Amino acid sequence: MAFEQTISVQESLRRIHELQPELNAAVTIVDDAPEAGIPVILKDNISTKGIRTTASSRILDNYVPVYDATIVTKLKHAGFTPVVKASMDELGMGGTNRNAATGPVHNAWDQDRIAGGSSGGSAVLTARAAAPLAIGTDTGDSVRKPASYNGVVGVKPTYGRISRYGIIPYASSLDHVGYFTTSVKDAAAALEILAGRDDHDMTSSLEPVGEYEACLNPNLAGKKIAVFDTVADALRDEAIAAAFQKLVSDLESAGADVTHVTMPEQLMDLIAPVYKTIANSEAAANHSNLDGIRFGVRKPGESVEDVMTASRTAGFSSYVRARFVIGSYSLFEENQDRLFRKAQKIRRLICEAYASLFRNVDAVICPAAPTVAPLLAESSDVRFGQDEFVEEHMQLANFSGYPSMVIPLGKKDGLPFAVEIAAKPFEEQTMFDVAAGMEALLKEGRHE
Amino acid sequence: MEKFSTEYFRKLASDLKFELSDEEIEALKKDFEAVEAQVELFSQVDTEGVEPMIWPFETPTVFLREDVECETLNQKDALANAGDIRMGHVHVPKVVK
Repeated sequence: MAFEQTISVQESLRRIHELQPELNAAVTIVDDAPEAGIPVILKDNISTKGIRTTASSRILDNYVPVYDATIVTKLKHAGFTPVVKASMDELGMGGTNRNAATGPVHNAWDQDRIAGGSSGGSAVLTARAAAPLAIGTDTGDSVRKPASYNGVVGVKPTYGRISRYGIIPYASSLDHVGYFTTSVKDAAAALEILAGRDDHDMTSSLEPVGEYEACLNPNLAGKKIAVFDTVADALRDEAIAAAFQKLVSDLESAGADVTHVTMPEQLMDLIAPVYKTIANSEAAANHSNLDGIRFGVRKPGESVEDVMTASRTAGFSSYVRARFVIGSYSLFEENQDRLFRKAQKIRRLICEAYASLFRNVDAVICPAAPTVAPLLAESSDVRFGQDEFVEEHMQLANFSGYPSMVIPLGKKDGLPFAVEIAAKPFEEQTMFDVAAGMEALLKEGRHE
Repeated sequence: MEKFSTEYFRKLASDLKFELSDEEIEALKKDFEAVEAQVELFSQVDTEGVEPMIWPFETPTVFLREDVECETLNQKDALANAGDIRMGHVHVPKVVK
């Protein structure tokens, strides 16, 4: 197994330092990293023994894990060397990477635009070739959206495919480990390293891990590919719509059996509110352990309660505290049935409809983000409320646990946009095969 | 008292062990208009007989193991990130006065 793109650890560190004034993507650069190995970028919510891990939150500013996350152990065994802990939206809660304790991360190709989040630091550093592999996490498109905005491959495998042991959680029923590479072949190779059952993570799957790279087959002839028309038809950006239509036509020319599928818009409109209800509620519960007592930044107080209150007030941004309030409200006994439980029931209805799209097809494709990266000055994270489903549709793969990835589809005014490929649970091989076929078609189209 | 009053949010924040400024509470009041609109939207969906979806898959991945000690943190590591340690314990302000 070998990565197509790679550089030395020293060169990687040099690039990260050089890019920091422009991108602000690093929280902690591992300057004393061992020189041997393939450099890997880690999102700052991944526990690294002896290396500060803040999740871009002030409350964890001084936190140094005493153990490695399972994926860090696996990466080290496979010859990788962590070189940087990359910025993220605080505790994973955001889609812009504006809300990080160390300030906003800038898009890899335009400093005035967002990186996307929450795994923005990992995305922009991969795009600027600081390392061949970067790890992120994806609770509601937090790998795939920044991958789309920065022009790299972004993978969110099946729920439970990669162990989450040692990852600072956000919303446990939606959290996935994901990653960024610069080619589909590298993406296939990376999953072989990262995937597998881990008894430390009781949600990790016992499904066998495939030989994804060796079995990679980019031949599209006979592949059954469904176009997700509900998303594609809602797209307003003409350049992205045209590039996507061209891809669909090229797929047909390459022998793929292309069909079209839809989902009721009433259910699509519920994606954002259901996501926010579940994610905020699970986050409020998960982060109750961040109190400054056993770890994290402790503020003084007259009593234990005062210490906790002072530490949590100073330690969390205003945005995160607001989301905890909203999440906790949904969990109150008097609100659970109409909010949290209701959202969980609607989640099931949405997932049943989503599963029906995959009947008799190998993969479902649609445009990833509906626009190129928004301007920093014009973007914001909606705390609660209804977003357009064309923005949030990739959360379907978080609700359902289905594998989903994005690959670069084109550029508009120099800014990247992407196509999403989703497959049935644990059928990552099929997803990679279709993605590899598309990648080859797109390369031909660009006459590279 | 109005349902989403300033006092209501102060109490909510206090239960969550943090404080909110007046500006933050005003912003939350607007958020909660959206929360209530969401309740209305949710109520339009017929979920009669639908089980809540708690995890993506139903396949069991959790098993009871033998009750034997496996990996543990030693005391030094367990206390390594605490802000105040005295005599091998995490130290906090006096609880019983």
